[in-house]
Amino acid sequence: MSTLASYAVTALGGLAYGLLLFVLAAGLALIVGVMNVMNLAHGASYLAGTYLAYLLTDGTLASLGIAVLAGITVAGLGGAALSVLMRPLKGHTEQAVVTLGLGFIAAWIFTRVSGGTTLVPPRPAILDGHLSVAGHGYPVYHLSFIAVAAMLAAAMHAILHHSLTGIRLRAAVDDPQMADATGLSAARIRTAALAVGTVLAVTAGVLGAPVLSPGPGVDSTVLTLSLIVLILAGPGVRIRNLLIAAISVGMIQTLGVITFPTLASFSLLLAVIAALIIRGRHGLQAVATA
Amino acid sequence: MTTMTNPAPDTFTTGSAERRATADRAARRWRHARRALGAVAALAAIALPALTGPYLITLAATAIVLALLAMSTQLLAVAGLPSFGQTTYLGIGAYTAALLAAAGITNGPALLAAAAGTAALAAAVLAPFVLRTRGVTFLMVTVMIQGLAVAVAVHWTSVTGGDEGRHTPAVTLWPGDPLTSTPVIYWYTLTAFAAVGVGTAWLMRSRLVLLLRAHAGHEPRMTALGHRATLELGAGYAAAAAISGAGGALLITINTYVSPADISFGVAAAGFAAAALGTALAGFPTMTGALVAAVAIVVVRDWAGSDGTGPLLLGLLLLTVPYLRPAVLRLRARRVNRPGAAA
Repeated sequence: MSTLASYAVTALGGLAYGLLLFVLAAGLALIVGVMNVMNLAHGASYLAGTYLAYLLTDGTLASLGIAVLAGITVAGLGGAALSVLMRPLKGHTEQAVVTLGLGFIAAWIFTRVSGGTTLVPPRPAILDGHLSVAGHGYPVYHLSFIAVAAMLAAAMHAILHHSLTGIRLRAAVDDPQMADATGLSAARIRTAALAVGTVLAVTAGVLGAPVLSPGPGVDSTVLTLSLIVLILAGPGVRIRNLLIAAISVGMIQTLGVITFPTLASFSLLLAVIAALIIRGRHGLQAVATA
Repeated sequence: MTTMTNPAPDTFTTGSAERRATADRAARRWRHARRALGAVAALAAIALPALTGPYLITLAATAIVLALLAMSTQLLAVAGLPSFGQTTYLGIGAYTAALLAAAGITNGPALLAAAAGTAALAAAVLAPFVLRTRGVTFLMVTVMIQGLAVAVAVHWTSVTGGDEGRHTPAVTLWPGDPLTSTPVIYWYTLTAFAAVGVGTAWLMRSRLVLLLRAHAGHEPRMTALGHRATLELGAGYAAAAAISGAGGALLITINTYVSPADISFGVAAAGFAAAALGTALAGFPTMTGALVAAVAIVVVRDWAGSDGTGPLLLGLLLLTVPYLRPAVLRLRARRVNRPGAAA
């Protein structure tokens, strides 16, 4: 019974991890989908968010709120700047290289300020306790994170599927030429998509630092896992698919790694290969050429 | 085709013979200069152990491995496939060589062949899946494969030794005569690199690369002509993996050690960037460009940035070079269009 409970607690951790990946992957899906740019600095955006949280939070809920607001501002501006940087470049490779350069610089700054250690921002005092789940302690912060991320997912679903802005954004992802022809400003949508995508990554960093500790190498882990979620979720920005894929990857990363450590990394590879077979060229291509 | 109008014949003859001769001379001079530069670089590479200490020699050996990674990436760039994951095959090559060396097979060329072969085989297995994608999606899938390769290397401890890595005995050329001195290891690495380079140069002139270019240019037409994209691009993918795998064997030769850090995101990024910078400056994917850029990256990241600023300098390099492309292309165009140099 107690092993079952410990599995349940781990699964709860997997859910938190999965939702964190969902927020990150949704941001990347927007950037890849609308801009057709592979943002290799997406992991660095997460790191930047965790660092903002480390700088600005002092254990109160208000300071966490300030950190979130600061993150949104900085990321929005950063995303818009990135869209300006991308404009004169030709081809995926050059764009990817420039984002890579930004990522290197960000990682260097992060290593400088952190001294190569893991910087965990203080959790708000109200959320700092542990909840007893069948005799196992589970951090309240993680539970709150699950709630907040779930609300974020619901809000994103509502915006993308039921608001004019969301419908325009999806139109730009699904058929940019058609969207352009109907009078939607492609340039504005692209800038917005990059800004929102970056905001999601940075927000994930501000809120998610206690769930996935920021340290050297976390940026590439975050990038890889977001990409896996993206590939599994298939073309377009479909919140439901992204959510299912993200939670599955989160579960494999937590439950799987504990039960079958070797198998877990292989199983992700196999899942991706399966997705590549099932979706075929056309299904996948829509992710990129949209 | 028959209705295509030829340009008036005298457009070719209006330039006087003298001007054309000047142009020819200029082109020849440029070719000679490039050859001379290449020869000087090759001589400097050979004479390096006599000129500097072990630190720079080891750096040069690192540059050789990175150059192979960049060349592997560049071969796929020729096919229009932006690949980030060639470290996967570097890793497969390196771990193959490490396992063989641990089992007693330490002969350098044998390890090189085994590493290249295993990497090509692994690529051939993965190719049908990876090559279901193109463009940014291909890039995404290869970034992901790179990350998963690291995860497998970390977790599959019984084979890879996990984070601790695997130490291997020194590579030999003749039984009972392990290569231990830094200059000898370097010269062996350089020779192996030259051999792979000759092979790659031959490949670049082969029919396969013509096919890869054609697929990059207009795949639907190639398919309509009866070419099978997955098969032909797959052959290119396997060949690229073999180059990378050879790099893995050389990594074992130089370090007698391999760990997941050798195939990390940073290494993959450096290889990808070297190929991309080589392309940005030449205007199209060239092996020489990738080679020069790989050396430049090692110089910037490991030599100039040895005080810890390496990632910063590399980041700045990556942030500037793509924006220089238009200026570089204009410069090249001006050289070609100089009065009388149009021929």
